[in-house]
Amino acid sequence: MSLLSVREVESGYGDMQVLYGIDLDVEAGQIITIIGPNGAGKSTLLKTIFGLLKPTKGRIEFEGREITGLSADRIVRLGLAYVPQVENVFPSLTVRENLEMGVFIGGRVSRARLDRICELFPSLITRQRMRVGKMSGGERQMVAMGRALMLDPSLLMLDEPSAALAPNLTATIFERIIAINRTGTAILIVEQNAKESLRVSHRGCVLAAGLKCFEDSGPAILANEDIGRLYLGGE
Amino acid sequence: MKVEAWARIPQLLVYGLVSGSILSLGGIGVSLTYSILGFSNFAHGDVMALGAYLALALLPLMSAAGISSHPLGSLSFGLDFVAALVLASIGTCVVVLVLDRLLFRRLRGAGRITLMIASVGVALGLRNVVQFFWGPQPRYYSAKIQLATVIPGLGVRIKPDQIFIVAVAIGLAVLLHLFLRYAKMGKAMRATADNASLARVTGINTERVIAWTWIIGSSLAAAAGILIGIENKFVTPELGWQMLLPIFAAVILGGFGNPYGAVVGGIVVGVSEEVSTAFISTAYKPAVAFGILILMLLARPSGLLGRRG
Repeated sequence: MSLLSVREVESGYGDMQVLYGIDLDVEAGQIITIIGPNGAGKSTLLKTIFGLLKPTKGRIEFEGREITGLSADRIVRLGLAYVPQVENVFPSLTVRENLEMGVFIGGRVSRARLDRICELFPSLITRQRMRVGKMSGGERQMVAMGRALMLDPSLLMLDEPSAALAPNLTATIFERIIAINRTGTAILIVEQNAKESLRVSHRGCVLAAGLKCFEDSGPAILANEDIGRLYLGGE
Repeated sequence: MKVEAWARIPQLLVYGLVSGSILSLGGIGVSLTYSILGFSNFAHGDVMALGAYLALALLPLMSAAGISSHPLGSLSFGLDFVAALVLASIGTCVVVLVLDRLLFRRLRGAGRITLMIASVGVALGLRNVVQFFWGPQPRYYSAKIQLATVIPGLGVRIKPDQIFIVAVAIGLAVLLHLFLRYAKMGKAMRATADNASLARVTGINTERVIAWTWIIGSSLAAAAGILIGIENKFVTPELGWQMLLPIFAAVILGGFGNPYGAVVGGIVVGVSEEVSTAFISTAYKPAVAFGILILMLLARPSGLLGRRG
């Protein structure tokens, strides 16, 4: 049984349909990257899985339980976390308070969990009292991922985690993604920086015009000349 | 400029601090509603009036319940009035939560303008309900005359009731600060004000946050309305409506959506209104608030403590 199973999902914004019959499986402990051009429906797929958009058709299951159309605050209780591409932190709150918001539904902040997050993102240790609005883009991304991990989710969905980051920070973010995955958390990434993301992924999936056109292992997609030319900026 | 006008300023600063304290309490609710629910609540003034009238209605019941009406120290009211103040604040919260359930909840996501117009409707409704039950004439909290005492060294006079007003306002503002800073729900309120959709994604129950916003805003509004009654000795159905302009001036001055800004703005507007009377007719007091509002919108629309951009 897959950790996440998406079957023939159709979704969009009002009358504008964006996704057409999408199938996707995420196995426990895997990293999956979804790539595709702008407007392919990558972010729409994550929002639909997370209950921010209601699918017009299809079925979504998480750990064997149907979550189609459930609200985001109920889905997060089941162990699925999501980090949006933009505005993914609370800028007027401190780092510590942002992390605390991650366990809002789960009671008190566990010291052990907080230590675990700080192990994953050591730069946050000395900045617990700093207002996140004053931090750089890379640091904010780490706070956002840290907050999403506070409830120890089985699946973490990241929407463009390296968007607008400097190359050295992008490398750091992907290092952290691997480290998170080693703790047993499966990760579903939507990413423009496709090569970097596919390098760390067990599998990849290509979305174009709301349709899934290709799926294979990360290295196989990187080696595919047609996909490289069309979606990875290759020759 | 006349010398005696300047000589009055220390005394006017005291009056300004008293009225500013009341404006601050009123402004906090407007600010919280704007930052979390996303609209300017024009019913807030009439919620203040409702609180003031509920206290008036509860006062005889407190005496009947055996709570002492003997004045507390030098104050003009007794424990019965303090009990009425607390119960009226709770009653006001209940009315506002019912209004949210019946009206504002149905309009969530309908847009700021729709919600604002709905709040104007609620304001008119509340004012007419108050007028229906208590009539249009002023109703007196207390007929007792209270003498002001001179503050040694400063040469300014202040009534014990006015000290009570400032103390209650400071106490409530400090409690609110502690709540927003340290309580889990307070932090969730700040998070929701920052980004409501991210708050939902994080698992924060934003409907509970909204309920707390109404509870805090309406209880502080009721307290502000009752404090106006204590200061003026009487209340009228238009009490809240008349306070709305200076409250909005205070909130805009401090930075719309920032409760701390509302406190600062309230004090500045209150003091400015009172000090202006040394130089211009008291009839122009509302114009001072209006002038501050316009100047601030022109010079720094984000307000003193608001975020730019």
